[in-house]
Amino acid sequence: MTLTATNDRNTVSDVQPTPGTGAAGLVAREVCAWFSGRLVLEGVTLAMPRSTVTALIGPSGCGKSTFLRILNRMHELVPGAQLAGSVELDGTDIYAGRLRATDTRRNIGMVFQKPNPFPAMSIYDNVLSGLKFSRISVSDRDALVEVSLTKAGLWNEVKNRMRELGGALSGGQQQRLCIARALAVEPRVLLMDEPCSALDPTSTARIEQTIADIADEVTVVIVTHNMQQAQRVSDVCAFFLAAENEPGRIIEAGPTDVIFGSPTDERTSDYVHGRFG
Amino acid sequence: MTTLAPTSSSTAAPPLPPTPRRIGAPLRPRDFGWADAGILAASLLSSFLLVWVVFYQVTLLSGIFGFLLCWYAAFLALYWVVTTQVVDRQAATDRTATVVVVTGAFLVLGIVAFIVGWVTWKGVGHLHTNLFVKDMSHFVPADRNVLHQIGVLHAIVGTVEQVGIAAAIGVPVAVTTAVFLNEVGGRGTRIVRTVVTAMSGLPSIVAGVFVYSILVETSVSRYSGLLASLALFILILPSVTRTTEEVLRIVPGGLREASLALGASEFRTVWSVVLPTARSGMITASLLGIAIAVGETAPLIFTSFGNNNMNVNPFHGAQAALPLVLYDFVRQPQGALIDLAYATAFILLALVLILFVLARVLGRQRSTSGALRARLRSLFRPSARSGGSENPSPVGGRAGRPPLEILTVSPNPKEPLLP
Repeated sequence: MTLTATNDRNTVSDVQPTPGTGAAGLVAREVCAWFSGRLVLEGVTLAMPRSTVTALIGPSGCGKSTFLRILNRMHELVPGAQLAGSVELDGTDIYAGRLRATDTRRNIGMVFQKPNPFPAMSIYDNVLSGLKFSRISVSDRDALVEVSLTKAGLWNEVKNRMRELGGALSGGQQQRLCIARALAVEPRVLLMDEPCSALDPTSTARIEQTIADIADEVTVVIVTHNMQQAQRVSDVCAFFLAAENEPGRIIEAGPTDVIFGSPTDERTSDYVHGRFG
Repeated sequence: MTTLAPTSSSTAAPPLPPTPRRIGAPLRPRDFGWADAGILAASLLSSFLLVWVVFYQVTLLSGIFGFLLCWYAAFLALYWVVTTQVVDRQAATDRTATVVVVTGAFLVLGIVAFIVGWVTWKGVGHLHTNLFVKDMSHFVPADRNVLHQIGVLHAIVGTVEQVGIAAAIGVPVAVTTAVFLNEVGGRGTRIVRTVVTAMSGLPSIVAGVFVYSILVETSVSRYSGLLASLALFILILPSVTRTTEEVLRIVPGGLREASLALGASEFRTVWSVVLPTARSGMITASLLGIAIAVGETAPLIFTSFGNNNMNVNPFHGAQAALPLVLYDFVRQPQGALIDLAYATAFILLALVLILFVLARVLGRQRSTSGALRARLRSLFRPSARSGGSENPSPVGGRAGRPPLEILTVSPNPKEPLLP
């Protein structure tokens, strides 16, 4: 198994008190995952350096999403799911027990494949929902809503309809609302699980723009099936692959231009050039 | 077929419009014309005559219900056969199935309309202001002028209190149980669900006897409205629990994940996301439970017992209830009291209707925070309703549907394009 991204480890090893602020690096070490006793992910080690965009690519069923969900402890919510290995947020192992799952998830936010704004809440309340859940008080809620929506590239479209239900927006707007909602709690890492797969090209472009805009203040890890998108938005790229009846593994990881330009592994080359998958 | 029109002559010149073809009459495969209506009517008539001859003249059977059933069956068979001959087999099956479904729907509608209409017709004429301001302390059954002596205010108060208490205990317990079944899960789920299902088969009189034998017979308590509430609570619990569980089940899992991914605890997720999303459906569930409780008579006989005098305190002493009073009236031989029974039945129906409307109004408000406040504000200041805060989705829909309808709003055409 080739591991080319481990040289980034030194960037995340200078330990900060967790939870801190600002973008944080994430390092996964020897992560394995099981569903009901079946191994689906084996020995994944990957560094996702601070303030970068890491893309996880690979064909369906190779464990990308499972890996992503392990990064903020969403994996364990699935009945029968198990895992091994460690995930470090700026040097603190999120599975070591010092950090509560709720705190972990507040620091490592997530945007899902299907837009899922809370239908019973207004746009305004949707953005503030994370703070409400964690009972965090903010001095200026309106400002926070505006900042979050602006970061997500949605402010201008919804500033006059804050009291409308989140479900009344279009699919692309809903997804950007979900991003704004995730950003409002000021996460240090934002995980995105195929955030554009249900959207049209225009909305996709808006979200890619958003990712580029927020990358400074939050580390982004994105799962995508779209090679061009991975190439456009990411700094680091990890290629996952699962052979038949075998768990998923990282085949190759490294800077995006290397993965797409001169990959060392033939399977990576085949995949990024669309020869399979 | 429509694509292959070009002829070899039109190679260089811009293609001339092809010679206008004769456009056939538009096909409407499911059309139902006069001829079809004729077939329907003829089938009805001939099956009627056929069954009449066979039923009453040949086999010498009797009874109107048997006749109607046979007529219906014969009509379906005949209609299918005739349509097969005149149109085709597929249309015949389609139309016969349509007839079955439509008659089923109209049968139910007809029964409900008949009951409500009948009670209204018989009851409205005997409504009297006395009914709403007096109790039955001066009740003399033989009195010819009984209508001016008595009222059922004590029973209205009793029913409202007993059902109110039953709902106040029952709905929270049912919702908690449903949350356990659907959100918490675990090993106990199956047994709890089995018990709840078994409870829904409990005859109402058994609930009354149960409370009676546990509390009254052992001299723990005397007859009181509260005991009636306990019996009613037992009755509404399974219905509300199961319906609420169904409603919670259709709350999309993505919302729970979204909430958890924001750092919410599981309690916050249920409290702030799942329950508000399912709110409208849960209100319907509670209503169904309350509707069950309002009409129950049997369990009250052993628990609140009934009382001709006004008793406002549900915690002490026998208390009247509308179904009990109705039951008393309807067993009396005097025509005046039978009329009174209809009036009481009408009040009972009206009470249920008021409850339904009330819950609908409350359920339509979308946001949890300040729902009541906003609703009240809009009631007092009509202009506040048109402030863009109107809920675009039909939340007050059927049980268990509303959240999905909000979620699947189609893309907004007004969304601006990228610059």
